[in-house]
Amino acid sequence: MKLWLSLLMGLKEIGAHKFRSILTMLGIILGVASLLTTFALTAGIAHGMRDFMTQIGGIEKIEITKQDPPEEQSGFADISPGSTVADAEIIQRRSPLVNYVSPVSSLSNAALTRGSQTYRATVYGCWPDFYYINKHELEVGRRLSQLDLDEARHVCLIGQSVVRSLWPGRKSADVLGQSMLINGRPFTVVGVFKLYERASEKARRAQGIVRPGGGNLSAGRSKNYDPFFGKNASVQTPITTMFYDYKSANVVGKVDQGPNYKLDQLIFQLSDAARFHEAVEQTRALLNVTHRGIEDFAFVTREEWFDSMERSIRSTRISGGLIACISLIVGGIGITNIMLASVTERIREIGVRRAIGAKGRDIFLQIIVESSVIGLGGGVLGLGGAFGLLRLLAKITEGENTPLVEPGAILISVGFAIFIGIVSGFYPALKASRLDPIEALRYG
Amino acid sequence: MALIELTEVTKRYRVGEQEIAALDGVNLSIEAGEYAAIIGPSGSGKSTLMHLLGCLDTPTSGRLMIDGIDASRAGGDRLSELRNAKIGFVFQSFNLLPKFNVLQNVELPMIYAGLRAADRKSRALAAIERVGLSNRVKNTPLQLSGGQMQRVAIARALVNDPRIIFADEPTGNLDSTTGESILALFQELSAQGRTIVLVTHDQEIAARTPRRIEMRDGKIVADVRTAAAAESRNPNIEIRNESE
Ligand SMILES: Nc1ncnc2c1ncn2[C@@H]1O[C@H](COP(=O)(O)OP(=O)(O)O)[C@@H](O)[C@H]1O
Ligand SMILES: [Mg+2]
Repeated sequence: MKLWLSLLMGLKEIGAHKFRSILTMLGIILGVASLLTTFALTAGIAHGMRDFMTQIGGIEKIEITKQDPPEEQSGFADISPGSTVADAEIIQRRSPLVNYVSPVSSLSNAALTRGSQTYRATVYGCWPDFYYINKHELEVGRRLSQLDLDEARHVCLIGQSVVRSLWPGRKSADVLGQSMLINGRPFTVVGVFKLYERASEKARRAQGIVRPGGGNLSAGRSKNYDPFFGKNASVQTPITTMFYDYKSANVVGKVDQGPNYKLDQLIFQLSDAARFHEAVEQTRALLNVTHRGIEDFAFVTREEWFDSMERSIRSTRISGGLIACISLIVGGIGITNIMLASVTERIREIGVRRAIGAKGRDIFLQIIVESSVIGLGGGVLGLGGAFGLLRLLAKITEGENTPLVEPGAILISVGFAIFIGIVSGFYPALKASRLDPIEALRYG
Repeated sequence: MALIELTEVTKRYRVGEQEIAALDGVNLSIEAGEYAAIIGPSGSGKSTLMHLLGCLDTPTSGRLMIDGIDASRAGGDRLSELRNAKIGFVFQSFNLLPKFNVLQNVELPMIYAGLRAADRKSRALAAIERVGLSNRVKNTPLQLSGGQMQRVAIARALVNDPRIIFADEPTGNLDSTTGESILALFQELSAQGRTIVLVTHDQEIAARTPRRIEMRDGKIVADVRTAAAAESRNPNIEIRNESE
């Protein structure tokens, strides 16, 4: 109840000096505005990055590639059969931490032909799970099936880049069921992926802005690096088809080495990213069996890459936050200064209040509440400023990095403003509460 | 026991090397319902005595009992409570808070007493009516005359129903007719049984109170009750004429 009355008194006092109070709040306003803006911008960037990372498979996607066995194993490394479909099978059956797994045998720079149109892309021979691991989405058609795999059917899924190159001007639905040649062999298109693009591209396209060079689907890696280039150019076919049609002969130096059913890659997706290390170790143990203990395989994870991104976001946040804090501290010093002046101005009033029964702590509370209200006022006005600024920034920044105001950030910013108000009021409040009533009454 | 009792009270101030005895062995008792004036030349210790009586300060030595409570040994918070509950102050320069209106000024002591808003308002209005300012409740002090301001101050001093009211030169900043009306108000309050102690340097005012306590150099040099007042009072009148 006393607190409530102190609050009313504080508001009254602030209301009596509106202009001075606003000036005093300025540092806090700027500090809160910049703190919240920093939070929102970095949250926006983090959100955009995480979105993008998810699009390309997320941290839960792990890749196993070939590597040269270590020196001490090189003498007997040929006891390992290398990466085979057996690796994928053992992981599928024995690793409870793995959701999806797919062996990959690819044909790079394959010629995709339809009539006179040719497009060069990598064709992935894989299991149906490949679709899930790489987070593909169909626009029309179906995914690969176990039957496609068992019968080694000549079917494929294609991305938008392939559609636009081989069927220029045609809709995805028109392409379904059509055939195309992969290095001269006919395949039927059973599924077409949707167009993968960054949020910024999507926004630009929605506004009718077309970037020179064709944006996303530009043939090469133009000056605008497109992270979804590979995903849009994707062609998927059953791995069995890949083996029988393209890997049955392996001519090295004019001598056929026989079929090459080795994998180029093995990818899998974890069911729980939190048990990342456990899953890696479990998989390593399984592969040590199939590879006879030869370490001719390596894990490619995105953990470090993701970590470094998170780190850079965090350091941006910290440096922005630091600048905002300096502003808040300067604002706090401003509050202390004004509160000291205000106490000096009101020594007589404090004497009167003491004479009629106010305790030292009542005076302390009155001053500290007043400075907290100034802090809170600055915080709220700063919030307003931040929202204005963010609206402006949202127009400038790329779509996927749209500033993101999180409730926690608002709480922290305003909470910090109030905290600064309390801390800044502490010394003036102490000084006021320790005034001798008699001297205070005699003052001025 | 008397409402206020001072025994061998001294108050010393150190100013550099020198020590000043603002009060020097004062013995005094004031009964409930008395109306007394403390008089003496400037620097004689009147204000110091009033500050001690009003629990704004504690003596260097000696004992000060107020309404049965030993105020000479009380801490700061206890003194605040005593001031709030048992004492009302009226100052020469009114000391109203300029940003608050009449009602809010009068409510202030009750805020520190922790009263509920509704009680505060009704009691404040009653006190304001008592001093005849019911029509100026919403005015701020700056919109009032000196006499009206002093009436507000008296209402504020009365509102917590204190045991005693102290007034330090209450008419000092007023013209003589307004001063008269304020004194008349004190007279009325006294007639209703309030204990009132005024500090003044005006012999004429002091002559009208039933008791006159005269000070010089930190000591009480005369304590006189007029015949009318004396009969019902403790006849223990101290007269000390010391010349050093
Ligand atoms: N805070 C103080 N510090 C030093 N000396 C003081 C203080 N207060 C009062 N005195 C001294 O005590 C004496 C009595 O002062 P005071 O009680 O104000 O007298 P009066 O009110 O009768 O004029 C004076 O000599 C004055 O200078
Ligand atoms: Mg004086």
